[in-house]
Amino acid sequence: MPGIRLQFIQGPIWGKTAEQIRRDAVLGVNPLTGGPILDKIVEKLTNPLTEEEKRTGEITRSKGPDTFTGTADELQKLFLEKRYTDFMPIILPTEEKVAEMLKGTSHDPDEVLGELSPWKAGFESWTYTVKTVAINAVMAGAKPEYFPVILAIASTQTEALNVSDNGFVVGAVINGDIRDEIGLNYSYGAMGPYAHANTTIGRAWSLLSINGGNCGKPGTTYMGTVGNPMNAINIIIAENEEDSPWEPLSVRRGRGEGMRSFPGMPAPKPEGFKKGENVVTLFNGWGVLSSKNWYANVWGTEMNYPKIIKDIYLTQDGSLFGTCAVLSPPIADFVKDAGFDTVAKFTEWVMDIPGKDIQREGYIAPPGGTFTVIVTGASNNNYFSMGGFVPGQSIRIDPWR
Amino acid sequence: MKPRKEVMVILFIGLCFSVMGLLSPVAGQAADMKEPILTVLNPLGTPPPIKLLPMAPRLDTIKGKIIYIVNDGYPGSNLLLGELKAVMEERHPDTTFIYRDKPGGMGGKIQELWDEIKEKGDAMILALGH
Repeated sequence: MPGIRLQFIQGPIWGKTAEQIRRDAVLGVNPLTGGPILDKIVEKLTNPLTEEEKRTGEITRSKGPDTFTGTADELQKLFLEKRYTDFMPIILPTEEKVAEMLKGTSHDPDEVLGELSPWKAGFESWTYTVKTVAINAVMAGAKPEYFPVILAIASTQTEALNVSDNGFVVGAVINGDIRDEIGLNYSYGAMGPYAHANTTIGRAWSLLSINGGNCGKPGTTYMGTVGNPMNAINIIIAENEEDSPWEPLSVRRGRGEGMRSFPGMPAPKPEGFKKGENVVTLFNGWGVLSSKNWYANVWGTEMNYPKIIKDIYLTQDGSLFGTCAVLSPPIADFVKDAGFDTVAKFTEWVMDIPGKDIQREGYIAPPGGTFTVIVTGASNNNYFSMGGFVPGQSIRIDPWR
Repeated sequence: MKPRKEVMVILFIGLCFSVMGLLSPVAGQAADMKEPILTVLNPLGTPPPIKLLPMAPRLDTIKGKIIYIVNDGYPGSNLLLGELKAVMEERHPDTTFIYRDKPGGMGGKIQELWDEIKEKGDAMILALGH
């Protein structure tokens, strides 16, 4: 809203005493302009409206020219200066390359896919089309055969780069035969940048968010206090269905397991996905870290992995994102051998703790929240990762072919 | 003498390669080579039009007025606004400040509160963020 009168104060507020807040914020100065806060507030309430503030009507904005022309170096520089990139070199989206990308789908290039925004409750949303997604997928270096996955993700209207000062990251877990069809990695380094498909699909999601939704501009549409290195390519996981002792995540969610809604939002509906069906499940949260980060998982000779996982779960904040455990196949086998022949049984046991799901000011107080299990990676050793990461929508990929 | 002949032969061969190089198609291309000019597509989505709403008329003074201070519910903002209210009351004893929590936090429906402020208040300070 142009013209709205804003008064900035010196943050942060959270965690301070009333005395500190009074000293730093209320009796402080505007961190941008330097004027005393209280005087400025009164001025904003009493200064007459300017002509600009009285204006009505509508402002239309252009996204600029449809094309840019120059040498490759000039265009790389231009895209960098206009902040169309993630600061890394891109594949220049020529008409030919975009047309090639669009061969990866039967959908009309002009089909409007939806709206993206740094945060829908607080920012304007930009609209984007199949062609917008294709341009950004080219820039990310993706291949046309990945495009249905990228479109499926894009169709959810989920931004990869949320404005939050938390520094969130998104993820996508891909199940089904398409994993091998397009060369997704679910072995060594499954969560890292060790395969073209995983890496470029994740990068396309971030570039689409930057360009299709005006996300990721530090200080305005991105406020992550310390940021998140995973934002570059996000967490794109192909589940290792072949080496997992359990059913794929998509099949479990297809039955409705682990569904959860955020406060005030409806829970996703179970879709009855079958094994082999190509499905992508979106995640968001703070991300996952090696479980070696937790004292509960210190190396020992007798490792009780179910207990270790539960002990880590107990330390997690259940309020927003619950806990996600990304297990290597050997860890999953340990858990199964301990008597948990289904993820549902393991989940029930992990979450069976006193005091769970206590409501606190609209949120679920820790311990609590969802517990989600994904199996991926190689079988060379007993490693796994955990963190605050919650599944959202699970959607079919094939309708986007 | 023999060594000198060898040197001359080598120099001659070198000169031949140099001349051939100048005349070769590759060298010709290098001389004429310019970076190709590309046309690329704009990657942006479409921003929406902005509807301009006129700001509410300002007060001539806050003296004798009722000003609502509304909390959007982030952690710590109750303390911030409590302190703001206390200091404002000290500095502006003729103004009434009323504190309210916005129902449902940042995403909540607020029509009831809006209606109350429109009916009873003269102005509002809404705190966002945390």
